[in-house]
Amino acid sequence: MPRIAVDAMGGDFAPDEVVKGVAKVSLESGIEVVLVGDSARIQALLDEGPYDPELISVRHCASAIGMADDPHEALRGKRDASIAVAARMVADGEADALVTAGNTGAAVLCAARNFKLIRGVRRAALASVYPRETELPGQDVFGLLLDVGATIRCEAAELAQFAIMGSAYARRVSRQPSPRVGLLNMGREEGKGGDVLVEAHRMMRALPSIHFVGNVEGSDVATGRADVVVAEGLLGNVVLKLLEGIGEAASHLASQAAHDSWRVRLGMAMLAPGIEKVRDMTDFGTYGGAPILGFEHLCIKAHGRSSARAIANAVKVAAKAVRDRVADEIAEAVAGIR
Amino acid sequence: MSSRESRPRAGGAGEGEPSIVFRWDLDKTYLRTEFESLRKLVLIPFEAATEKVHLPGVPQLMGGLRRAALARGDRPFVFFLSASPPQIGAEIRKKLALDGIEYDGIVFKDQLRNLVRGRFRSMREQVGYKLGELLRGRRDGPRAREVLFGDDWESDPVIYSLYADVLAGRLGGDRLGSLLDRLGVERDAIRRVDGIARELAGDGPADDVVRIYINLERRTPPGRFKPFGPRLVPAFNYFQTALSLYEVGVLDAVGLGEVARALHERGWSGERLRNSLDDLVRRRHLSPGTADRAILVLHRDGQDLQSASERTLGARAVSAMLRLRRRMARSQPAPPETEPVDWEALVDHWVAHRSG
Repeated sequence: MPRIAVDAMGGDFAPDEVVKGVAKVSLESGIEVVLVGDSARIQALLDEGPYDPELISVRHCASAIGMADDPHEALRGKRDASIAVAARMVADGEADALVTAGNTGAAVLCAARNFKLIRGVRRAALASVYPRETELPGQDVFGLLLDVGATIRCEAAELAQFAIMGSAYARRVSRQPSPRVGLLNMGREEGKGGDVLVEAHRMMRALPSIHFVGNVEGSDVATGRADVVVAEGLLGNVVLKLLEGIGEAASHLASQAAHDSWRVRLGMAMLAPGIEKVRDMTDFGTYGGAPILGFEHLCIKAHGRSSARAIANAVKVAAKAVRDRVADEIAEAVAGIR
Repeated sequence: MSSRESRPRAGGAGEGEPSIVFRWDLDKTYLRTEFESLRKLVLIPFEAATEKVHLPGVPQLMGGLRRAALARGDRPFVFFLSASPPQIGAEIRKKLALDGIEYDGIVFKDQLRNLVRGRFRSMREQVGYKLGELLRGRRDGPRAREVLFGDDWESDPVIYSLYADVLAGRLGGDRLGSLLDRLGVERDAIRRVDGIARELAGDGPADDVVRIYINLERRTPPGRFKPFGPRLVPAFNYFQTALSLYEVGVLDAVGLGEVARALHERGWSGERLRNSLDDLVRRRHLSPGTADRAILVLHRDGQDLQSASERTLGARAVSAMLRLRRRMARSQPAPPETEPVDWEALVDHWVAHRSG
C-alpha cells in the first residue's frame, strides 16, 4: 500500500479537517498516511473521533505556512514548515506522494525544490479539476485543466508536454482509455491565438499518444468537448478563478432572490433535491484534489477550503496515482516523443 | 444471577504469598464474538469451540503474563467474567483448552433464570451484575494486585473503574449507591454490591488495580476515556496492551515479543506495529523511554519495528534520534499514576452517551 505524506497544517480549516479526513481514510482503506505537523494538536484531534492508529503515523514539526504568506519569504524563514518537511519526506523515499490543502505557491515551490523533474519534462504544471457537463458515455463529471499557475507564459513544446501529462493522468486516474485533449484558445480554428498557440496546436496534433480534439474556446471548457484542457498558467488560472467566481456569484444571487421573494423561496424549495444532487455531483470534495504534474514524485493539491471528505478523497487520489504509476506513465509518454 | 465455575488448582495462593489477578471479559475482549445482528447473535449458542475465534495476540498475551508472573515469584490467577449465558459454557471451556489457557474461574450470567423469573431488566443490565461479581470474586478470592481486561461495547470501562475505586476506598456507601442508581442498576443489585463493598472495606483500602485495558473493538475515540484517568488504557490491539503491561513490569520482553510475533503472523507489518507503538506514546500511555526499549528488545528478537524514516536515515541517525527522544522524554513531566475520577460528571456523561 502506498504511504502518503499529508501536510496537516495546510488549508483554511487545518489541522481539524485535515486530521479528520485522514482518520476517515484510515478506516476506509489500507492507505498509510504520515501526518506532518504539530504532533500534540494532531493527536488531540485524532482522540476526538474514530481512527485506525496502525495506518497513521505523525511527523512532528513546529511551524506552518499560512494561506496568505508569501511562499518564497515563508519557506526561507521556516525551513521546518509542515509542507517543506512533507515534501522532503517524499523526496527521501519516506513517503510515496504528498497531499496538501495549504498555500498553493508554497506547494509548487516545495515540489520544485525537492522533486526532480521527469527526464525530458521541461516544466511542471499545476492541474485543477472542475465540474463540467458530460457529452459522451463514460466521461468523468470533472474535467482537468492545466496549467493553472505553476507557469505564467509557456513555449509551445511545454504546452505539448502538458497535454501528454494531463492525458496520462486522466487515463490512469479518471479511467478514461483515451481522454480528449483540447488547447484553450480564442477560437477553434488552428490559426488562432498567436505563434505559440499555433505551434502548440501543430505539435499536439502530431502527438500519437494523445487524443487531440483541437482548440477549445472558453465556452467549451464547461462542456464535454475536452476531458483535458491545456493552457498557459496565466490563462488557466484566470479561467479557473472565473469558474469558481461564477459558481459563487450564482449561489449568492439565488440566495438574494430567495431572501427577497417568497415565490423564489418556494420554487427553490421545490428544486432543492435536484440542486442538492447537482451539488453533490459537482462538489470538488468528491475529487479531493488535483496534481502537480511533471515531477518524479506526485503532489496532490487539495482545495484550500477542503473538508474532511475532500482530504480523504485527495489521499485516495494520491494513493491511486501512486499505485497506477502515473509518473511512470508520463515518463514513458514523454520519452516516446523525444 | 450468575453461574460460577471455580477451578481449584494445585498450589493456591497461600497467606501472604505474592500473587496477581487477571480478570478478563470474554466477548469482544478474548473472543471475536459477532453480535451486531440478530442472526449472528442467534448463531452464537450453536458455535463449536473450533469455530470460535480469539482476538489476535490474546492467548500469547495470557501465556506471557502467566510466565512473567511465575518468573517474578507471583502466583498468577486468571478469571473470566462474561455476560453470556452458561449454556455456551461448554464450548467456551473447550475453546480455552484449545488455546492452552489456564484459568481459575469463569462466571456466566444466568439469563435463562432471569427470563423464567420475568426479570427482563436484569437481562439487559450489566453494571450491577458485573460489579457485583467482581467484588464477590475479590471477597472470595486472593487479595492481590489486579489487571482488568474489557472492551468498548458495553460498560466495562465504568464497571472496572468503579471496582478499582471501591477497592481503593475512594467510593462506597451512599455515594456509590447514588452513582449506581444513576447508571440504572436495580435496587436489589445495589444492595448486593453495597453489602460486599462494606465487607471488603473492613479489610482496609487497597489500591490494587494496576491497569484497566479496554480493547477498542468498536473504534471508540480514545479521547472519550480520558475522564477515567491514566489507570484506564484504551488499546486498539493487543500489541498496545502488551506494551503498556511491559512498561508497568507485568509482562516481560519475551511476552512482548510473542504478542508482536502473533500479530505479525496474522498480517500485521512491522510498520503497523510501529504506528501502534507511536500512537500509544502520543496518547501518553507509554513513555518514550519504554517505547525505545521495546523497539530494541523486539529488534534483538528479530522483529523490525523501525519506521520508514529511521530505515532511510540509517543506524547512526537513529541512535541520535533515540538519544534526542530520551532527552525530550526526561524533560516531559510524567503523567500522574492515579488521578481522582470525577465520578458524578463521568456518570452523567456516560449515561448521556452510552451505547451499550
